[in-house]
Amino acid sequence: MDFFERIRDGWDKHRKPAHEDDFDYAWTMAIDLDICTGCGACVTACQAENNLPIVGEEEFARGREIKWIRIERYWEGEFPDAKLSFIPMMCQHCDAAPCETVCPVSATYHNQDGLNTQIYNRCIGTRACAVYCPYEVRYFNYTSHHWEEPLDQQLNPDVTVREKGVMEKCTFCIQRIRQAKDRAKDDGRRRIRDGEVQPACVQSCPAQAMTFGDRKDTQSRVAKMINNPRAYRVLDELNTSPSVIYLKKVDADAP
Amino acid sequence: MANIDRRDFLKLVGAGSVGAGSGFMLAESIKHPVEYLIPAVIPPEDFSPGIVTWYNSVCGMCSAGCGISVRTREGRAKKIEGNPAHPVNQGRLCALGQAGLQVLYNPDRLTAPARRTHPRDSAALGEANWEQITWEEGLTTVAQRLNELREGGQSDSICLLSEGVRGHLASLFELFIAQLGSDRLLHYDFSHPHSLYAANQRFFGEQVLPYYDVKNTRYLLSFGADYLGSWISPVHHSLGFGHSRQGQSGFRGQFVQIEPRMSISGAAADQWIAAKPGTEGFLALGIAHHIVSSGHYRGADRADWAKSLQNYSTGRVAEQTGVPADTIAQLADAFMGNRPSLAIGGGGAGSHSNGVDTLIAVNALNYLAGNIGKAGGLAFNPIPVAYPTAAILPHARQANYRKMLALAEDARRGKIQVLLLSGTNPVFSLPAAAKFQEALTAIPLVVSLSSFMDETTAMADLILPSHTYLESWGDDFPEPGVGFSTGSVSQPVVSPLYNTRATGDIILALAHKLNLSETMPWPDMKDYLKAGWREIYRRGPGQESFESFWIALVRAGVWGEKTRRESTGFVPDKQVVRNIGVTPPQFSGDSEAYPFILHPYLSIGLHDGRGANLPWMQELPDPLTSVVYGSWVELNPATAERLGFAEGDLVKVESPYGSITVPVYLYRALRPEVIAIPIGQGHSEYGRYAKDRGSNPIQILAPQMDTTGNLAWSATRVRLVATGEKVALVKTGGTSRQLGREIIQTTTSSAAYNAQDSGRIPLREV
Amino acid sequence: MSVSIVPTLKVLKPAGMVLLIGMIGLVFGFWANGAYFPGTSPQQPINFSHKIHAGDFEIPCMYCHIQARRSISAGVPSVNKCVNCHKVIATQRPQIQLLMNYWENQEPIPWIKVHDLPDFVYFPHKRHVSAGVACQTCHGPVETMAVVSRMAPVKMGQCLSCHKENSVEHGLDCWTCHK
Repeated sequence: MDFFERIRDGWDKHRKPAHEDDFDYAWTMAIDLDICTGCGACVTACQAENNLPIVGEEEFARGREIKWIRIERYWEGEFPDAKLSFIPMMCQHCDAAPCETVCPVSATYHNQDGLNTQIYNRCIGTRACAVYCPYEVRYFNYTSHHWEEPLDQQLNPDVTVREKGVMEKCTFCIQRIRQAKDRAKDDGRRRIRDGEVQPACVQSCPAQAMTFGDRKDTQSRVAKMINNPRAYRVLDELNTSPSVIYLKKVDADAP
Repeated sequence: MANIDRRDFLKLVGAGSVGAGSGFMLAESIKHPVEYLIPAVIPPEDFSPGIVTWYNSVCGMCSAGCGISVRTREGRAKKIEGNPAHPVNQGRLCALGQAGLQVLYNPDRLTAPARRTHPRDSAALGEANWEQITWEEGLTTVAQRLNELREGGQSDSICLLSEGVRGHLASLFELFIAQLGSDRLLHYDFSHPHSLYAANQRFFGEQVLPYYDVKNTRYLLSFGADYLGSWISPVHHSLGFGHSRQGQSGFRGQFVQIEPRMSISGAAADQWIAAKPGTEGFLALGIAHHIVSSGHYRGADRADWAKSLQNYSTGRVAEQTGVPADTIAQLADAFMGNRPSLAIGGGGAGSHSNGVDTLIAVNALNYLAGNIGKAGGLAFNPIPVAYPTAAILPHARQANYRKMLALAEDARRGKIQVLLLSGTNPVFSLPAAAKFQEALTAIPLVVSLSSFMDETTAMADLILPSHTYLESWGDDFPEPGVGFSTGSVSQPVVSPLYNTRATGDIILALAHKLNLSETMPWPDMKDYLKAGWREIYRRGPGQESFESFWIALVRAGVWGEKTRRESTGFVPDKQVVRNIGVTPPQFSGDSEAYPFILHPYLSIGLHDGRGANLPWMQELPDPLTSVVYGSWVELNPATAERLGFAEGDLVKVESPYGSITVPVYLYRALRPEVIAIPIGQGHSEYGRYAKDRGSNPIQILAPQMDTTGNLAWSATRVRLVATGEKVALVKTGGTSRQLGREIIQTTTSSAAYNAQDSGRIPLREV
Repeated sequence: MSVSIVPTLKVLKPAGMVLLIGMIGLVFGFWANGAYFPGTSPQQPINFSHKIHAGDFEIPCMYCHIQARRSISAGVPSVNKCVNCHKVIATQRPQIQLLMNYWENQEPIPWIKVHDLPDFVYFPHKRHVSAGVACQTCHGPVETMAVVSRMAPVKMGQCLSCHKENSVEHGLDCWTCHK
């Protein structure tokens, strides 16, 4: 291809948000809000799996907590008709992610599995990605963190321990996805089966509110959940094309 | 320059050398530091570097008894997951269970036996010095004293006070205390549902917890029981909840929560009804009245029921409870119209002066709806053929408040010479009015087997620290069961970290020193466990050898018997029906001087205080308020406005028995005359993450009991006194309103469920 | 406008010369460190010679580095493994006596890591060995080395060129190795 043809080819490829036909796996998470009880098991499971730091009370007070998945709570109404709903919010792995466009060093980009990556050793800490993210799911390490011995014996060796100055966020437990691919390769180049890889949050949820899988696999559970009439995506109007599907909560009082 | 003089030449040489030297050092400083490759001396059998090993075991963080699978790398525990094969939690695990790793690797663990060198005086608490001793010394000291007492005919001055335990550790305690000639074996847990057992004893004639089938129910009516958060077996109930809601074809389970303060079960419910505190029993009987009077109930004994319920018409009950009469009727119609339905009770509702009668009324509802023995209702767990007998009724040794007071009184009277403590912390989890800490000072020898320096262990004379549950052999027979007999084995997932020993091993070592080796011949807990399971194996089909049975058991972590118990056809005793009724709740404290009712509740991360030394639990935002690292008192916004309080204002919460100071949090799902404080903080010991943080509401509870001697912890009246100070509450929540962003979207019921398309994994048949 | 440049220069010139020589020295020192003390071939606690074991005696790599095919780390043989042979072989040699000292004291031998990757890199030996990559590709001709020295730069460029050449599936995705 000559120079101009290459430009046009690149333009064509990238003007489609998420260039979907190029994905190898399209990892998707589905969360049923009618089932989520807000118990926080997912939050602790993620903390244990991904070496999330214990930031301490002071940092929490400054709004610098690091919780890759958080439970948001929203009230409606007043006593005695108050209603409370929960929504677990983590990186939505948007196919048209605003954060990816702004990183000056390309430390975050969309990979071939539909995941929004975050490469710690490339990140220079401009924090622009956190500003651009409409879901506010990116967390910055304002300090280096310390694990009081022997709490550091629990750290997961498959996950990098982040230093000060680096951005981090939910990765859909890429280390588990990678291990599943490894196992698949050992078994002779097969594809990952539905349910074989589960991020820590999905695995722990006591109410089974979360499901994870490859939406390209039409037989998978998530593919079915996407077609559920209750399915929607948060802040969909921003056209970020998230990979996290939520199922609407049922309001029994609604007319 | 053609000629360069000596000075300049030397300057240049100097500059060049300094430059070269700095360049060299600069290169050296950015070099990769030296890393070592340390091989094993002899390669271990149970792990290979870089390869994961999984161990199945039992979670020890609460009394539910979920099965866990622990992922280990190079001999270190890295992550706890649920055991997929275990019927209680089926591969899932709650936040507290995940934090078990921080119990194992906690920096404040007790690492070796120690003896107090400082006098035990409550004022000097916290300044005690501890001198490390050897196990031999510690065990000998205790064994000698026990022997003296036994020989001197004073066996009944020996007391063993443990947390609630089941399985072979429970039977080992029984055996040990019996061999010593004593009967003083008590289990103490703040959250043990005493009133539920008492209610079941009265209504069903059995002091057991039945299996509550949340999974298959169509309509759950919960009277104060936070079944998703902390009541009995929250993971199992959450599984059931998820399935009932969106896992069944054609309908969506409905959940109703009746409590004065919305818990997470209340948030998940379709209807949250804030009846006046202590009137839940009236509400239950009002519903029962409507069920009988409207003709829903057609049983042969309906005349008896009508007679017993005649004073509980919906109009009267509406007055008493504050719940409108037509709501009561609607609940009754829905309860009967959506069967199988299920009524459960507990938590705050079961902890009033009328708690037992309230829960009897809840049982009555299940009877009237025909839920007993049915799927989707409640069923009695079969008593397995193969149980160790002592483990069948773990409730028998649970000490209610009256028994704890009696223990304290006996201690004060000098009737207790030795107290062995294992894993329980009554100094923290009993009201200050019980004066338990003071009673401990009257016991000459207090020995603690705990893993942590908690408030009660700080009163001990001798510490013989035990392994944590992740380092121990043990087993469990979960209660409530799962509808069929099941048991699980707990195995060590790592080598012990410190110079500690398993609780069972400590007891057996004492037994051997006391020459009890004939009746207690096992060298250690593992051996005792194997002997016990050999009995279970013998009564089973016995197709393989015991060794292969044992290996399969430990590998799976779980065992079961496919028996169910026929429990349909239950009819309550006529006397029970005649005596159905509730009295209005009695509160401690004059209503003028103490205008508010205190509603303490078990927090999700800290439970009854046990989670406070785990940094992950301190950092877990409370689901309903998002506060971390502290305590707070919840006030209804209207109440707060009336009193002139804003969020963060420090107030003194005073009961007739004490006061604590906590910041205000405005919580809208709360009755205006009720204030709520989470339990868990307010430790004066227990490690760096827990110490001197927040306040403990249990301290200020009134020593009021219900009719069977259980602590009526919902019955304390309090007043609020401003201090004029303010703190900033540390919380993660920003605005709690969606402001039109439609982050959480809702839909109506009609579009709600199509389980076939939902792709949900069906729950296994239990 | 009567600032005179020449006297200023006269003062600056010697200072400038010193600075210039200093800078040249800095660069030279930096280079000398890399050229003469690269750290690629550290002195090990025992002079274990791969040339003798893997070269002359043709012991296969994975006889000692047993985990290479199964695990992310290839592993270094336990002291037990060395002693299995050396309790009878060449026992009088001083290096073997050093080995037996470690064994008698039940102490591990603190080998210095020659091929060290940063902690944020995930390198699974298992994957590469199964893909048929010979040990020598990255580690160089170890069987000719009396002292192991780092032949390849073991920098990301090397990984990427091999991944490109061999069209490794997702080999150019950062997350394949970094996490």
